[in-house]
Amino acid sequence: MFHNMPIDEVLLVIAIASYIVGALALFGFFLSRVPFLRNLGATLAILGAVAQFAQLVARYEISHIWPLLNLYGSLSLFSAMSVAIFVVFAFRYRLWFAGGFVLALAAMFLTYGVTWNEGVMPPVPSLQSYWAKVHVPIVVTSYAAFLVSFVISALYLVRYYVERRQGAAMMLSASVEPGGAGAAAGTATIAGPNDGISGWLASLPTLPQLDVLVYRSVAVGLPLLTLGIITGAMWAKEAWGAYWQWDPKETAALFSWIIYAAYMHLHTRNHWRGLRTSWVSVLGFVSIIFCYLGVNIWISGLHSYKV
Amino acid sequence: MTETVRNLYADFIRTFGNVLFAVSLFVVWGILTLIGVIVDQGKAPSAYYAAYAAPIARAILRLDFNNVYHSWWYVGIIALILTSLAVCTFKRVIPARLPALRPVKIDAIPLHATISVAAPVERVRESVERFFTQRGFLVRNREFGGTEWSFADKQNWARRGVLVAHLGFVIIAAGTTLYWAFGFSGDTAILTGQTVTIPRSGATIHLDRFRYRIDPIATKTGIVYQPIDYVSHVTASGKDGVAHPYVIRVNHPITIDGTNYYQSSYGFAVRFALLHNGRLASLSQPLYAGDSLKIPGTSRSIEFLRFVPTMDPQTKMPSPDPRIGNPAVALSLVRNGANEGAALVLMHRTVDVGDGWSVRPERYLMFTGIQYRYDPGVALVGIGAFVLLVGLVISFYFLPARFYVRVDPHGEGATVGLAATTVKGYDIFAEEFGTLVERLRTSLQSGG
Ligand code: HEM
Repeated sequence: MFHNMPIDEVLLVIAIASYIVGALALFGFFLSRVPFLRNLGATLAILGAVAQFAQLVARYEISHIWPLLNLYGSLSLFSAMSVAIFVVFAFRYRLWFAGGFVLALAAMFLTYGVTWNEGVMPPVPSLQSYWAKVHVPIVVTSYAAFLVSFVISALYLVRYYVERRQGAAMMLSASVEPGGAGAAAGTATIAGPNDGISGWLASLPTLPQLDVLVYRSVAVGLPLLTLGIITGAMWAKEAWGAYWQWDPKETAALFSWIIYAAYMHLHTRNHWRGLRTSWVSVLGFVSIIFCYLGVNIWISGLHSYKV
Repeated sequence: MTETVRNLYADFIRTFGNVLFAVSLFVVWGILTLIGVIVDQGKAPSAYYAAYAAPIARAILRLDFNNVYHSWWYVGIIALILTSLAVCTFKRVIPARLPALRPVKIDAIPLHATISVAAPVERVRESVERFFTQRGFLVRNREFGGTEWSFADKQNWARRGVLVAHLGFVIIAAGTTLYWAFGFSGDTAILTGQTVTIPRSGATIHLDRFRYRIDPIATKTGIVYQPIDYVSHVTASGKDGVAHPYVIRVNHPITIDGTNYYQSSYGFAVRFALLHNGRLASLSQPLYAGDSLKIPGTSRSIEFLRFVPTMDPQTKMPSPDPRIGNPAVALSLVRNGANEGAALVLMHRTVDVGDGWSVRPERYLMFTGIQYRYDPGVALVGIGAFVLLVGLVISFYFLPARFYVRVDPHGEGATVGLAATTVKGYDIFAEEFGTLVERLRTSLQSGG
């Protein structure tokens, strides 16, 4: 089946297939905690990311054109980096349970990226810069880190709201059936410690642990986004004369930066840490997607590379 | 100071020293920034009326949202942020991040533990100190009301990370202010063979020639004409008046007397011959797209809409190919301000405009678009960005934590009470705290 395909396309198919099957395996692990599914998902995640990096190298070798300077290339790097950062986090902080979401998003963004594949094209003059080669991977890696923060904060919110509902149910059952045995029976059927959801929830990291993980992934993303904006400014200075032109792409990145700076400051306050900062992280990722795809697609500006 | 002034001052400090107030300022800053992303900036008022319903367009123009980044809103919010930053740093960050060595109520701190040891107090105290010192903690002992406390700090220096980040932001703000105060920028078009004097910088630039390369590339969706290179060959002189040859390319600006010159665009200007009854009456100045040429003695004029590098021989329409082939110009005839029709006219062809008049596109000239900028704040902004980044890395990747330790006699032995605080709450340190306490327990109880 593959013998007529160029090597980069073969690698692409391997990556997408690995992500899809890996996502299914890790979703299975998320729900069931069967270790085999985790091992399978982890292996496929690594295989997919390796195939993607190999694919980018292969494209460069075939065309001698830096492969990251269009939406297809940058979305490829974005999905590969999301998985790579996730894999590092998963090994370090036992985060495999979240992998299904990350791999599914990676598969989605990669497949979407393929729809922008125009074939090989030499870059326009403003993209023929050393800074372009530095700037794009940094920015895309920061987006990838924020994707990981987004997934963890979404899980934080799921856990928080499920627990709250269980808490309410427990209170309800306790008030409906006051008294020792009755209360115990009530809680056992609705939300007792042996109940399926509770048992499953108990196998997730605790809310404070999830919050710390969100913070740690933002701690990867925000310095990178800052560095990305700085390298972008250096490049803009070379290409367009001013390091900051208030171009929609720059300002959208600044908007995301402001949201994550707000996240960081709110996270220093005890009452905001956790629930509310997780919402800020979700909002931050929405702004990242707007900055990344929304601006490229809907709003024209210098970053549509006129010169 | 009167009472009122003192109260006002206290209110000011309380408000501006509140992190949530600062975050609210961030939110406003974010919203203003987003408005500038969504609403096209710097367009003519008519463009907003064309794109939005009239009340919205009016609001955009009234509120300066058409130029939001240079509006007083934007500058004002940044000034408020800087004020808040300054107040917070002195009133809040420094006291909170660099706390004095003081005793605490150990049980009241979420991360706390007690270890009982069957050894004399002095020896236990020494062992505790050794334990923390060996692990890179800075240990300081202080006596409070007869009780001796030990304070063991991990990565104490990194407490200043926030200050570094904040300083970076202030330096960036100072750098941009320098540009507002003393910098300038603009752009200019220079025709081949023309010499232009740049306002404010005083430099003169002569365009010897402009070259571009555009390649047709076959893509999956058809041919794309991809620009590969734009180059201006110029002769320029600065304050010393000595002319030098330069090459300006995209991504390769030149610098003369501290002002940078960048390749930013290119285009074609056209000289038109104006004929009356078939005889040449005059030759126009080079016209740029959008310029008009008046027909003498009439209420008509010709507007030069755009230059077409090549016409498609089959469709007789402008080709998407931007390279020069069979060039033409798009013109429109305007009478008393009203458009009376448009035409595509090949170079050197004559078109009748009535009353015995006709026009002929005679020559086209390339021009280069050069952007220039003098920005004395660049270095400062660069330094600020670097400082900010360093501050972020320190704040995020180092976790200053402080152990509070008191060793009290207990029967024959001693009890060690420990509590720990960090600059980022307790959860982030819970695991490490547990591990360290267990190691200390093992070490003390095995007589280490
Ligand atoms: C309105 C302006 C600002 C105010 C009032 C402000 C205030 C504060 C305060 C009070 C803290 C927490 C100190 C603590 O509780 O321990 C803090 C932390 C911090 N601020 Fe700001 N800040 C401002 C702007 C900025 C900006 C623009 C940056 C640049 C990114 C920044 C970077 C930081 C960092 C890195 C931390 C440490 C966060 C952490 O350790 O998790 N701040 N700031």
